[in-house]
Amino acid sequence: MLKEKGQLKFEDKWTYMRPIVLKLLKQEPVSPAEWQELFYDVHLVCLWDEKGPVKLRDHLHEDIVQFIKQAQNRVLAQRQEEALLKAYIAEWRKFFTQCNYLPTPFRQLESSLQGKTTSASSSMQSNNNSKKGPIDESIVRKLMLDSWNDSIFSDIKHRLQESAMKLVHAERNGEAFDSQLVIGVRESYVNLCSNTEDRLQIYRENFEAAYIQSTEMFYRMKAPEQLATNGVQAYMRYADAKLREEEARAQRYLEAGSNGVIQCCVKVLVGNPLSVLLAECAPLIKAGETERLQLMFRLLERVPEGVQPMLRELENHITQAGLADMVAAADIITQDSEKYVERLLELFRKFSKLVHDAFSDDPRFLTARDKAFKAVVNDTTVFRLELGTGRNIGGKMVAPESKCPELLANYCDMLLRRTPLSKRLTSEEIESRLRDVLLVLKYVSNKDVFMRYHKAHLTRRLILDASADSEKEEDMVEWLREVGMPADYVNKLARMFQDIKVSEDLNAQFRTSTARHDAINIKILNAGAWARGSERVTVSLPVELEDYIPEVEEFYKKKHNGRKLQWYHHMSNGTITFATTSGKFDLDVTTFQMAVLFAWNQRPHDKITYENLRLATELPDGELRRTLWSLVAFPKLKRQLLLFNPPATAPKDFDEHTTFWVNQDFALIKNARPQRRGKVNLVGRLQLSTERSQIEDNQSIVQLRILRTQEAIIKILKMRKKISNAALQSELVDILKNMFLPSKKMIKEQLEWLIEHKYMRRDDDDINTFIYMA
Amino acid sequence: MADENDNERMDDNQKSDKMFTLKKWNAVAMWSWDVECDTCAICRVQVMDACLRCQAESKKDSYGKQDCVVVWGECNHSFHYCCMSLWVKQNNRCPLCQQEWSIQRMGK
Ligand SMILES: [Zn+2]
Ligand SMILES: [Zn+2]
Ligand SMILES: [Zn+2]
Repeated sequence: MLKEKGQLKFEDKWTYMRPIVLKLLKQEPVSPAEWQELFYDVHLVCLWDEKGPVKLRDHLHEDIVQFIKQAQNRVLAQRQEEALLKAYIAEWRKFFTQCNYLPTPFRQLESSLQGKTTSASSSMQSNNNSKKGPIDESIVRKLMLDSWNDSIFSDIKHRLQESAMKLVHAERNGEAFDSQLVIGVRESYVNLCSNTEDRLQIYRENFEAAYIQSTEMFYRMKAPEQLATNGVQAYMRYADAKLREEEARAQRYLEAGSNGVIQCCVKVLVGNPLSVLLAECAPLIKAGETERLQLMFRLLERVPEGVQPMLRELENHITQAGLADMVAAADIITQDSEKYVERLLELFRKFSKLVHDAFSDDPRFLTARDKAFKAVVNDTTVFRLELGTGRNIGGKMVAPESKCPELLANYCDMLLRRTPLSKRLTSEEIESRLRDVLLVLKYVSNKDVFMRYHKAHLTRRLILDASADSEKEEDMVEWLREVGMPADYVNKLARMFQDIKVSEDLNAQFRTSTARHDAINIKILNAGAWARGSERVTVSLPVELEDYIPEVEEFYKKKHNGRKLQWYHHMSNGTITFATTSGKFDLDVTTFQMAVLFAWNQRPHDKITYENLRLATELPDGELRRTLWSLVAFPKLKRQLLLFNPPATAPKDFDEHTTFWVNQDFALIKNARPQRRGKVNLVGRLQLSTERSQIEDNQSIVQLRILRTQEAIIKILKMRKKISNAALQSELVDILKNMFLPSKKMIKEQLEWLIEHKYMRRDDDDINTFIYMA
Repeated sequence: MADENDNERMDDNQKSDKMFTLKKWNAVAMWSWDVECDTCAICRVQVMDACLRCQAESKKDSYGKQDCVVVWGECNHSFHYCCMSLWVKQNNRCPLCQQEWSIQRMGK
């Protein structure tokens, strides 16, 4: 039979239970019998006394609080920081251990108290509760921790923190102490928290906050002091060392996962004196102090907006130093494309090394370097290329551009043609230099100018059979493709090589078909791949040459259908023998030079007027003047082939009565002694077009750009149908950037033109939006 | 024999008489299709370039093979042969003058 409810009162049992509870709190030995009894009594109280569980909890609470009070007194009896911390940690550890023991006999109480709350609250909550672990839901444990928190902890936490921070402070000043004390305090803060959602709440709000505050105070005082007494350089080393030290310290004394204290250190050590530190940046870059820059980068990288100004300094420095270097060497480099490219590469290497050594090739610094390289390469102060020289294109002047691409192309030519330079270098050296050129080319914004000159040089090399290494020629074409030169430009070059091979086959066939003509080589080329404009220069060929023409044409007609031939005598050239009474020379000459010289074959000793030479050769005025000038004033000759009268200083000075005659004393001068035999090349730079068309050539590059811009705009609009001005501009630059950078002005003009011609229109609602019109 | 020698000597004399004699001539000419209009009306590419299809199909190295030739109709209009042979499958008339298409000659 069970006893009736109310027969057993809590008060009866508590007298027996309490001494055991107190023993447990004090960590005094408890016998197994007492331990068992406590279990049973808790069980009885909860079972028989309706108010038992609540009373039991309240009394238990009272005793716990009482016990804590005593512990508090023991702790506060300590005056000295370390002793206080030691005492607190000892008391806490003891108490915390008991937090795991004491709840065990009271399980019954837990379930009784919980049963009450469960019946009063929703089943959802009870479900949630039941999911939590036994320790989590232990009411007694929570009671113990909360009591500790409410009494002892609230009362002395400030002293605890203060003491702990004093120890840390002492450590910062180089004094040794038992770090376990600080660690012990921190652990008590963490374990004390009964908030299961945020276990670190008490720790963070108290311990960490105090830690951060004391750290900040420490460095707020120390940092300016260091800066003032030791200067910026030493300060940067100090700040860097301290940041590392604090990182290590935080790892020791703080819970993982919070970066608060380091952020605070960074703010005080780097953020506050930022402008002073930054002022040091430019001088360090200038002096190439890579180690110090490394240090500065490491520091400034920690603060927002710290690196940005460094990037600007680097860009400024490279741009200014680069340009200054170019200007200083202007005399040499404007004359000598090899020197120019080498100078430029030397600059690039120097600054790339700086970025590597000081900033470990950080992408942001590489970008700043590249921006500066672009500025140097595209600068127009040292030399400029006037596109559309002297004339307005469609009424508008064109901005001057850097001559860099032209010089790069010239340098390539020196490497690819048979020249003293290419003869001196090994194949590997030539390849690496060509790759250098491509590296520079990457930064050039008017790449189309490079391609134009490169193509002109290639044309000359192929026509004159002057390539140093035909394999390298074709490699170069592929490299240009690899670095992203527009496919249609590159394809044109590739086509020229193919075409030359086709033409060589044809020449071989021609020569076998008419063995008599071993004095002639023919190159019959595809006008689509080679020709620049349809201009043709009239010339009356010497009979020796003229005889070949119908024969070649006849041969070609047999080979091909539907083709027409156009002779490009301004590109043709040859070798003639020049015999005087005392000497004999082989002369490499252009066909125009040949035409002029052969005029003397009928009258070797005559003086011939300009006018009569014009009649004999039928060359246009400009071409004849230029050709004659090359024969009377060839730069490499000490004794010229032709002599003339009256004196002139430029081709334009010849008039129709100027007379010319062959220099019968012609000789090559070697070591100051005249040579009566020998070979001279008078071709110079093979002319690819006439004077008139050279101006057109410059204009044509502008016109080509206009055309490309229009094409690209239409292409974008076709795809997008409707697009804002800003988006259009950026897509446009993207499409065109491998050829040239379209200017805002040019884009605007082309937009207007396309609108006027009804390819597109502005949106009625927004004039900055364009709509495609099919 | 004597005659021949005389002739040779005379040739020699003639040659040495001349102050300038040709040793080698490298003559350059450009060829293009003999057409009235530079552009193929079907693909709108210059007839001197390969037609659009050939450009798309052929890789860079097949340039210069010159296998994309031009064809002339009896009407004297000209197109890429590739373009025209596709065109006539749809419509056997010249796209420019609507005359019935018949080939006058092929480029080679
Ligand atoms: Zn076509
Ligand atoms: Zn085709
Ligand atoms: Zn037709």
